[in-house]
Amino acid sequence: GDLRSGGGSVDVCRERLAGLVADIISTVEFNHTGELLATGDKGGRVVIFQREPESKNAPHSQGEYDVYSTFQSHEPEFDYLKSLEIEEKINKIKWLPQQNAAHSLLSTNDKTIKLWKITERDKRPEGYNLKDEEGKLKDLSTVTSLQVPVLKPMDLMVEVSPRRIFANGHTYHINSISVNSDCETYMSADDLRINLWHLAITDRSFNIVDIKPANMEDLTEVITASEFHPHHCNLFVYSSSKGSLRLCDMRAAALCDKHSKLFEEPEDPSNRSFFSEIISSVSDVKFSHSGRYMLTRDYLTVKVWDLNMEARPIETYQVHDYLRSKLCSLYENDCIFDKFECAWNGSDSVIMTGAYNNFFRMFDRNTKRDVTLEASRESSKPRAVLKPRRVCVGGKRRRDDISVDSLDFTKKILHTAWHPAENIIAIAATNNLYIFQDKVNSDMH
Amino acid sequence: MEFKLEAHRIVSISLGKIYNSRVQRGGIKLHKNLLVSLVLRSARQVYLSDPCPGLYLAGPAGTPAPPPQQQPGEPAAGPPAGWGEPPPPAARASWPETEPQPERSSVSDAPRVGDEVPVATVTGVGDVFQGGEADATEAAWSRVEGPRQAAAREAEGTAGGWGVFPEVSRAARRPCGCPLGGEDPPGTPAATPRAACCCAPRPAEDEPPAPPAVCPRKRCAAGVGGGPAGCPAPGSTPLKKPRRNLEQPPSGGEDDDAEEMETGNVANLISIFGSSFSGLLRKSPGGGREEEEGEESGPEAAEPGQICCDKPVLRDMNPWSTAIVAF
Repeated sequence: GDLRSGGGSVDVCRERLAGLVADIISTVEFNHTGELLATGDKGGRVVIFQREPESKNAPHSQGEYDVYSTFQSHEPEFDYLKSLEIEEKINKIKWLPQQNAAHSLLSTNDKTIKLWKITERDKRPEGYNLKDEEGKLKDLSTVTSLQVPVLKPMDLMVEVSPRRIFANGHTYHINSISVNSDCETYMSADDLRINLWHLAITDRSFNIVDIKPANMEDLTEVITASEFHPHHCNLFVYSSSKGSLRLCDMRAAALCDKHSKLFEEPEDPSNRSFFSEIISSVSDVKFSHSGRYMLTRDYLTVKVWDLNMEARPIETYQVHDYLRSKLCSLYENDCIFDKFECAWNGSDSVIMTGAYNNFFRMFDRNTKRDVTLEASRESSKPRAVLKPRRVCVGGKRRRDDISVDSLDFTKKILHTAWHPAENIIAIAATNNLYIFQDKVNSDMH
Repeated sequence: MEFKLEAHRIVSISLGKIYNSRVQRGGIKLHKNLLVSLVLRSARQVYLSDPCPGLYLAGPAGTPAPPPQQQPGEPAAGPPAGWGEPPPPAARASWPETEPQPERSSVSDAPRVGDEVPVATVTGVGDVFQGGEADATEAAWSRVEGPRQAAAREAEGTAGGWGVFPEVSRAARRPCGCPLGGEDPPGTPAATPRAACCCAPRPAEDEPPAPPAVCPRKRCAAGVGGGPAGCPAPGSTPLKKPRRNLEQPPSGGEDDDAEEMETGNVANLISIFGSSFSGLLRKSPGGGREEEEGEESGPEAAEPGQICCDKPVLRDMNPWSTAIVAF
């Protein structure tokens, strides 16, 4: 059902179309305070949005996000020895916790991770003795007295510079990066290996997971995502294409091939098909903010796992089960390989994930209510309440329902992010970025 | 029966995907190819185990369709019948990162277990391209083609004319690489009788050494069996070629730093597919490759890649060619 039928508790009340990115957005990430929102795109660019502080003069503009900085993070490369083109597409961005006035983030493509430092300059020194305002050397004969240069305010300039480049660490395609809670190390995972890096050291990394078989013909699963535990700096999880999660403890061994815990749900034999393996592949894994749970996304469901229970997830939510009968078509048009991400809200009570037709879904873990919303310009006007959508699968059809067959599978929401503290969400719909702010409505319908 | 049809179709589609992955920008995606190979394996098992007596789709006129039990009618091995010449080396580039098989058993990976020492990452040009210069050239050539085609495809795709599920994929092409709309891609010599997968992959036509992989096969299909024979497995023939590379001893020892991205298991799966034409293979010379699939029937004496060039062999095996060209 949808939220409205049960008495609405959530109204999504405003849309700000924060940006039209020229290229398809490939990753979205809030920083730790939610003040900044970074997007990466297929063209290797990073666009950072900043939330405007709320001002009393414009009470309605409740902290909109505006473009703060844009820079080219990665360029396409061609590895001539391997005859391999390396895409510039940004696969993931992760913010470092802010430790001084500057902001730092890691961005990665398939092969190379880069550490970027973002600084603001709003003052500049004026009154040099030897140089004039344009920087040209003065004629010394005109200098009759000395002055101390002073800092004068100037228009804000945001400067971005690459501080570290972590290259040549991965033979396969990097799918995820995660910063450790110690703020000194981070890990990067490709299909078969996970490396641990120190943020200050670029010429070497520790390999902490290696699932490459001695004989590649024996390969049966790959690593699909990985993340450090938010509080325990020794713990991390990685997901596999077989649908399993492995929790690893770096204190146990240098090479964490042996997991501490294996989270796996036995397959339902009644659902077996040619595509069972594909749809069980985990596309994203996220620890809850509390660190007690993990959220996984596979093709048709999102699941919540309790770190203390390995046998099965504690909650399973159907994202779009009506696609189960269409798997063959979705295999043909490659949609079955789409990798959807998932997200927790700040209090770990609501989870969110994207779907097709520019729909995204939210599941309230406490009330067990769920809602389907659409990210599109037509259906959203500023300050309008987003209307819940419904996909009908036959049977009684309401007026605004969408039938499964008219879903647009080219409009997919793969990347979503939730503000760490507030009910603000960022939705990437192809090359549009939508930011929705949620106003909890106490009125019951 | 329906299972067989669906399995057959899924096999075709899967092979098309694997073939197309060669020319995808960014290199072969191991994850996706692994998943496709799993589907391929499942579909193949269903196809082979379906007790329905072999009704081969689009069998040539006058040729009896043999039941599958007698002949492990491997549907997916595209019979490059009609090849007079050995497969062009360029197609070997479809798995340019594949290491020669003997190297896989090297112990380079073993020391990693329990290592206390951090693995030094390569800072410079550390990766040695196995297989020699010729491979590098061919592979480089193939890779150069790939991005260009992929770029062309992407340009198409982002023009805004996306269309609606399910037929239009991003690249506006069917899995086998043919453009939609039923039009034949340039260079297709024969009519495309089937909707699902109509012809050989488009990229093949753009790569000068490779087109022989496409055209002669279709011509021969018509020649041997008569009439358009349906879809030859679009990816199978070119994919088998790298197997030749695998059989060759490595030119140098494998180095930890010299690792390349291995996607060889997928190529091997394809060759296993093709190699269960036991009759064919017994006539072909060549060293054997250790069989790993339990369901393969009979000893596989020959290197699967050599199926491509044995025209006289194929001529002798009309019932086989029926099965072969069904895909």
